[in-house]
Amino acid sequence: MRKMTLKNLSLFLALTLGATSAGAFFSGENAKEAQAASEKPIVLRVCNWEEYMDLGEWDPEEETIDLESGDILGENALYEDFEEYYLETFGREVIVEYSCFGTNEELYNMLTLGDVYDLVCPSDYMLMKLMTENKLQAFSDEFFDEENPYNYYVRNLSPFIRDTFENHQIGGEPWSRYAAGYMWGVTGILYNPEEVDAEDVQTWGILNNPEYFRQVTIKDNVRDSYFAALGALRSSELTDPAFTGAENYGEALEELMNDTSEETVAQVQEYLQSVKDNVYSFETDSGKADMITGKVLANYQWSGDAVYAMDQAEEDDFYLNFAVPDEVTNLWFDGWCMLKKGIEEDPEKQQVAEAFVNFLSRPDNAVRNMYYIGYTSVISGGEDGDQVFEYLDWNYGAEEDEEDTVAYNVGYFFDPEGAPEDYTLIVPEESLQRQLFAQYPPEDVIRRGALMRFFDGASNAQINRMWINVRCYNINNVPFALRVILVLIICSAMVVPMIRKHKKG
Amino acid sequence: MKISRKTLGIPYGLFLVLFVIAPLVVIAYFAFTDGTGHLTLGNFVGFFSDPNTMGTLLYSLVLAFVTTLVCLFIAYPVAYVLARSKWKRKSILLLIFVMPMWINFTLRITALKEILTLIEGNLAFHPFLNTVIGMTYDFLPFMILPIYNTLERLDESLLEAASDLGADSVQAFLRVTLPLSTPGIVSGVSMVFLPAMTNYVVLDMLYNSTYIMGSLIGSYFSAYDWNGGSMIALLLLVIICIFTFLTGADESAGKERGGALL
Repeated sequence: MRKMTLKNLSLFLALTLGATSAGAFFSGENAKEAQAASEKPIVLRVCNWEEYMDLGEWDPEEETIDLESGDILGENALYEDFEEYYLETFGREVIVEYSCFGTNEELYNMLTLGDVYDLVCPSDYMLMKLMTENKLQAFSDEFFDEENPYNYYVRNLSPFIRDTFENHQIGGEPWSRYAAGYMWGVTGILYNPEEVDAEDVQTWGILNNPEYFRQVTIKDNVRDSYFAALGALRSSELTDPAFTGAENYGEALEELMNDTSEETVAQVQEYLQSVKDNVYSFETDSGKADMITGKVLANYQWSGDAVYAMDQAEEDDFYLNFAVPDEVTNLWFDGWCMLKKGIEEDPEKQQVAEAFVNFLSRPDNAVRNMYYIGYTSVISGGEDGDQVFEYLDWNYGAEEDEEDTVAYNVGYFFDPEGAPEDYTLIVPEESLQRQLFAQYPPEDVIRRGALMRFFDGASNAQINRMWINVRCYNINNVPFALRVILVLIICSAMVVPMIRKHKKG
Repeated sequence: MKISRKTLGIPYGLFLVLFVIAPLVVIAYFAFTDGTGHLTLGNFVGFFSDPNTMGTLLYSLVLAFVTTLVCLFIAYPVAYVLARSKWKRKSILLLIFVMPMWINFTLRITALKEILTLIEGNLAFHPFLNTVIGMTYDFLPFMILPIYNTLERLDESLLEAASDLGADSVQAFLRVTLPLSTPGIVSGVSMVFLPAMTNYVVLDMLYNSTYIMGSLIGSYFSAYDWNGGSMIALLLLVIICIFTFLTGADESAGKERGGALL
């Protein structure tokens, strides 16, 4: 079905292009346009997370999102739609070379090894690292012009995200100058409400709770584990009203969660070593499946993946909940940034890159992405349509005759200055622990969100050392005599065949 | 047109330079330098003086050793029965043992995970055992094939001679069959032992949270420490070289290895 339309489309394009250039050739009037059409297309090299953009091919009958303002349906991949959009709007042909990376570190290594991209989408801490290393191209002034109707990003960005990007600085410059937000979220615990006490998941200490011995999982990367361990270790301080009520709570929280002093790292190491003996596994991806199949009861999870897991489990009539511990949550962002090495100060290319970010930020496209990947877009809509909020209502709003409903306010994200009743959803009561809660956490959860900065040279080495110490088998656990015996056995096993051979010879 | 032998070797020569020698040079460079490009032995000193990394080496060795042993104990009888079988179509039987290799590795381990969960209830209680099972499952064909190949070509008349000279079947096995199949065993062992030290995917998938040498390389790389990662890679290479030198210098073993690559 999709192939047919694509074919038709290219046929149509070929015909019209052929006709215009032929017409131009004969009349000589549209010579300029013909020249534009024959110009070499601009190539935009984009590198994004895997499974992090709508790749189209939705089923029109099952998956059309029928909002009041119109239907939304993903037919083609968004980057393919962009090529078409750019040609229509700006009259130049663009080819998007779309590729993917698996982890921030992988992306960083790729860039260091010499891979060249124009636009990449790393997480907050990697953005900071790239910014510090002066690898990023600043967005142009035109990009921030709210009067320009094509500047969907600035016109529709959530005020909450805008403030965060403006208030965080690296080397005296705000993030917003170098990065445009894409998706954001928090971290928390995905759990099986039938087996796990709701109180137990309100603390990061669940990872070390012997009641769930070998039935919880933790993330297999040093940053997430460090954060959770610190949350558990500092639990009483973090939940102390004197701390949470203080005027500079936000800054103090961020300082505390980015503490990499030697003493703290040592404490975290000790804590994670005991966590290792308590958890089911260190996982990156398998945790979702293990939750759905019931192998584990609780799972340290990113909000977007939690939404995905809850959706999947629901298909088997199995219900999972998501909670954010009382101490703290890791507020994270992924953002688009342009690389100096790729753009090479070419204004045309930079314009294409910025148009790409703007295109992704058009509210209907933001909805397509959210539906497809389950994460939360930084776009709240507004000037160019309210599709994002409509989608929320479409997705989570209670049916008219439904009982046990509650009001759920997401004003902080859409319009912090508006009236409290604006941007309030009427939702079934259970959504307070489920997808809606994970996708748009309530304001009190956001309040205890802390960003985690990147570890610079010395602390990076120190923390990696800590991680290796946690994950490796310590030889001191083996008595010395046993060590000698083991080495002897292994050596002899290798040497015996050789001796036999020599004896024969 | 006459094509000389040398010309025929060019494609492989290119391959060798590009994908074997060049990466090795890069690895060696990183292994012997620090982050700023200065020559140093610090990476190696760090590895051998740290109880955790040394523990990883020991853990990997023990894991590989146990896996190899288990593989050998399963593979030898199977290969023996197969090779001695009078059935005309034993190649079909052999096929059954080799067939798992044709199925995608991740898929196999995922299936194994489900089966083990059914048996054990919770995989996390026996990480070491599970890893050994997973690796045995993965590497068993590499042990069966070379042993089968040597046993298959064993001259029956030698066994008849042994029994004519008064040896019972046990003696004949110990004195004739076993020594003659050593090359197959050696090549099988080397094909199981070395991957077992580094294949951390099995480990991860079966939820063993303890690092082996392979995972250590990965963790260095994700901390942008290419020097540390290269150091471990080089260290593994040295271990492999020692191992091959001790066992693989045997010419007949070399032949078997070629056969086993089938």
